[in-house]
Parts: sequence; C-alpha cells; structure tokens
Amino acid sequence: MPALLGVFEQPGHVAEAVRKLKGRGYTDLETYSPAPFAEIDDAVIEKPSGVRLYTLIGGLTGVVTGFALTLWMANDWQIMLGGKPFSSIPPYTIIAFELTILFGGLMTFIGLLVVGKLPHGKLDPGYSARFSGEEFGLVVRCQERDVAEIDGLLRDQHAAEVSLVES
Amino acid sequence: MTPPPAESVAGMIRPAEIPRDSQANRDLLGVMDGVSLGYFGVLALAVGAMLCAGGVWIYQVYKGLGIAGYAHPIFWGVYIVTFVFWVGIAHAGTLISAILYLFRAKWRNAINRSAEAMTVFAVLTAAQFLGIHVGRIWKSYFILPYPNQRGLWINFKSPLLWDTFAIGTYATISIVFFYVGLVPDLAIARDRATGWRKVLYTVLSLGWQGTSRQWKAHNRSVLHLSGLATPLVLSVHSVVSWDFAMSIVPGWHATIFGPYFVAGAIFSGFAMVLTVMIPVRRIYGLERYITSYHFENMSRFILLTSLIVGYAYLSEYFIAWYGGVEAEQTAFWSRAFGPYWISTWVMILCNAVFPQILWWKKARTHVPTLFILSVLINIGMWFERYVIIISGLSREYVPAVWGVYTPSWPELLIVMGSFGFFCQFFLIFLKLFPVIAIAEIKELEIHARAHGEGH
Repeated sequence: MPALLGVFEQPGHVAEAVRKLKGRGYTDLETYSPAPFAEIDDAVIEKPSGVRLYTLIGGLTGVVTGFALTLWMANDWQIMLGGKPFSSIPPYTIIAFELTILFGGLMTFIGLLVVGKLPHGKLDPGYSARFSGEEFGLVVRCQERDVAEIDGLLRDQHAAEVSLVES
Repeated sequence: MTPPPAESVAGMIRPAEIPRDSQANRDLLGVMDGVSLGYFGVLALAVGAMLCAGGVWIYQVYKGLGIAGYAHPIFWGVYIVTFVFWVGIAHAGTLISAILYLFRAKWRNAINRSAEAMTVFAVLTAAQFLGIHVGRIWKSYFILPYPNQRGLWINFKSPLLWDTFAIGTYATISIVFFYVGLVPDLAIARDRATGWRKVLYTVLSLGWQGTSRQWKAHNRSVLHLSGLATPLVLSVHSVVSWDFAMSIVPGWHATIFGPYFVAGAIFSGFAMVLTVMIPVRRIYGLERYITSYHFENMSRFILLTSLIVGYAYLSEYFIAWYGGVEAEQTAFWSRAFGPYWISTWVMILCNAVFPQILWWKKARTHVPTLFILSVLINIGMWFERYVIIISGLSREYVPAVWGVYTPSWPELLIVMGSFGFFCQFFLIFLKLFPVIAIAEIKELEIHARAHGEGH
C-alpha cells in the first residue's frame, strides 16, 4: 500500500489539507508537527483526548484510598491522641487531598502513554528530523490508483513538496 | 559503465543533512554543546561543597545530633530553616508551569522549563534535610505507613505526617510534570544528536514524533497536570506552615501562616529563578528568548508577593499587640529587639523594603539591579524562616526555659553543601536537557509567522 508524504510550512494549510482529504474519504492519515497546533490536531482527531478518563479514575481512587487508609489505620489499633476522635475527618482530609493529586497525576501520565501510544518503538518511515524543525508532515496511505489524485490535492493545499514513502 | 563522480559518492555516505533547521533548535540545543573550563570549575565547586557536607553528615550520624548547635529549648535549628527555605524555592516552578498555564500567560514559555527543573532539584534538596535533622536516620522509615510487628500505625493527626505526604506528592508530581514537558524537546534533541546522547534521548523521548494523537494526549495531560498541581502548590507550603501553626508556640500559633508561607514561597522562588537565570541567559546568549518583557513580568510577581509578605509581617505584629496575649507580645518584642534582632531586620529590609524599588520600570528592566535584588531576597527569605523558627522556640511561655541558639559549624557546612547539591543538579541539567521549552517557543514563532508579525 503506497503512502504519500506532503511537507508543509503553515499549520493552517495542513489542517485544510486534512479536512479536504477526509472529505474525499481518505481517512488513513498521520500528521507530524514540531509544536502543538489545535487546528491540525482537531482536524485529524475530532474527539477530545481520552486522557480525561484516566485523570478522573486516578483522582477518585486517590480520595477513596486516602480516607480508607487513615480511617482503617486509626481504628485498627485505637490510640487516643489529644482527646480527639479516632475517626477525625479534618486531618484525614489532608491525606486524602494529597493522594487525590498524587494518584490523579500518575494516572494522567499513564493516560498520556496509553492514549499517545508511547513508548513507540521504531519511528515511522514518513517521519524525519525536519518535522522536529519547523516543517509539518502529512502522510496519507492510499490505494495505488489514488496516488495521482492525492498528489494533486496536497499540492493544491500549498504542500512545499510531495513524495512517496515506503509503508 | 562509468563510475559516479567522487563528489556524489561522498554525498551518499554523508548522513542526510537537515535542509533548514529552526533557529530555536540551533540556539537552544547549542546551550548543551561543549563544556568550558569555567563550567567545570563551578561544577567542581558545587560537587566539592556537597561532598564536604556529606562528610560532615556522616560524622553527625556517628557522633549524634549533639554536634549541631541544638540547645534547650531549641531543637529545630538551621536544618529545618533550610528545609523550609528549599521547599519555598521549589514553588516558583509549579506556579509558572501550572498556574500561569491555566491563565494562558504566554510569557511563561521562556522560563517554565528552568523553573520546573529548579522545582525538582529544590524539592530533592529540601528532602535531604528531613533525613539530616532526625536523630536516627536508620529509623526514618517509621514515618511511612507500613505493616509492622508491633501492629502500630502512624499518627495521621500529626502535621509532620501531612508534611511527608505533601512533600512526597509534590516531588512526584513535579518530576512527572517536568518530564512530560520535556518529551517533545527530547525528540528534537534525538533527531539531531549523535553517540551516547542519541541513545539517551531515543530512550527518554519514548519515540515521540509529534503526531496529532500524541499532541492531543500531551496537551490534555499538561492541562490536567496543571489543574492538579495548582491546588497542590498552594497546599504544600500551607502544610509546611502547619508544622508550626498547629503548635501553641508563641509566634507560630497563627492562622495567617498558610497564605503567608505560600506568598513567601512564591516570592523566594521567583527570586531564585532570577538569581539562576540571569547568569545563564548572559553566558549562553539567550537574550533573544528571555527579554526585558519577561523580567518585567517576574518583577511584578515579586513586587506583589513582597507586598503580601510585608503585610503579613505587619499583621503578625498588629495581632500580637491587639490580641493581648502576653506571651505573644513578648515573643514579638524579642524578635525585633531581642537576641535575634539582626535576623529580623535583615528579613524585613530584604523582603518588604528593598523590593519596593520594583515600582519603578527602570528597576524592573535593569538586569544587574534585579540580580542583586534577587540575591538579597534569597538571603532575606532564609532569615525569615530563621526568625520564625528560632526566635519562636527560644521565647516560649516560661522564662526559666528561655535559651539562645547559635548555629554550629557542622550545621553551616551542611547548609552550604545543600547549595552545592542544588547547583550540581542544575549544572548537569543545563548540559543534558534544553533549558528553554523549544516546542513551546516554536509554537509562538510559527503562529507569528503564519499570522504576520503584528499578531
């Protein structure tokens, strides 16, 4: 299956090219950008990133763990301290708060790895160091017969160069 | 068949060159290239100070805490002072990265990476003091909740334990935040490095390619980490302040301590960013990236937090007088005119008076003035903690147990070593990781290019 690589200089042109390609039914595409540009990222993937769910699960686990840990430990061997109740919610809230942040943060990181498919072993054949410079890449995988059409479309959208990459 | 001309063969062997690299890449990766004699000199000094402190610490473990200047009733000396100092320094990084990110303050891009690095290193430095100041380091794991033969659990009502959880969380989240921000820049470095650096960056960059899936997940993660870190940064120094405020020691037992400590932490953190970044900017020619615009904004933060800190000083004195508690009044009188009067006046001058020059635009943009001021603030903030901790403990309720504390030479050597410990990490960081977030700088530059200079 051939793949075409278009190199762009403006993020707006990439986003426009992505929208045009998707409009014509070419959905197997990948972009490479040197910095985050919402216009490109939203054109390629419309849904918000799934990292949200990881943070939520992490945070909820943290708050439950925080209260469960403190309440259980304080009651497992009850020792009276300063005449305070064994199950003192105000001080335990601090532990629960810290664990909410800790678990939420760690789960966010795991979410980044899972959703972003990292670590990613070998770099894609279409990727090159120029895309960590200041150029943008757009790779479209397509059927042999569509190559000419996509080539034309990419050039129409101000691609500085278009080439075939092994895929 | 004629052989191809020699020139083209050479062209084939030569690694493919990057046709046109961005200036941000060249400038900022350039900082990591090569090490000068001066760099080695400073690094040797830092490592030397740290090793010296390490030696003193081993001696202290052998002899016991008696070699510290602890004298009844003062058993929290400069170790705790320096612990609070470094935790405070650690606050600017997360403030710049998280809070300013949420407020979409784009000027943070030039300084967020170095401030985040400082946060990580300052927390690590602070954490050393928790071990240094306990009498039996080999039993310090008692602070963690683990099942043991005695069937006992830790006391979750103790502020010291809240501190353990707060500092532990802060250190972990700061490291995660720092690393997540680094990944795209490590990929930039990977694409341009050779040798062992290539291997290192390939592993650390996790195969980052800047695909839309990756950027989307990255943006979302940074947003969430910022959202989590914002209350965290405010909580950490509040919890540290409760180590004091939860007691009934005159001068400590105050409800203002939370906001007072947080403002002080941000104040000292920004000062440390200036102290470190002004020489780095000069030596590595980063004037294009860290401009007077950034200095002005940082100065404004320093001025604001200085006013809050100054207000807290006044309010403490006012409440001591107005509250009518005799022990409180005596404690504050002895602060200003007792045996620690020098520390108190250094603190007031450096933290509340000198920063007022930042009302003038000329001072906000004059780099040498800012540098001197930032060093003075660092000194002032160390003395602030000295005043609070030492003078508080030395004048408790019963005059019969009043005492005077003088730091001993082992304590001072260890404090000096902590600066070496912090500096060595920062120096290694300068040569290993991009000191300014390259991808974020590029985001602004490409935007500006796409929408014209006036945008």
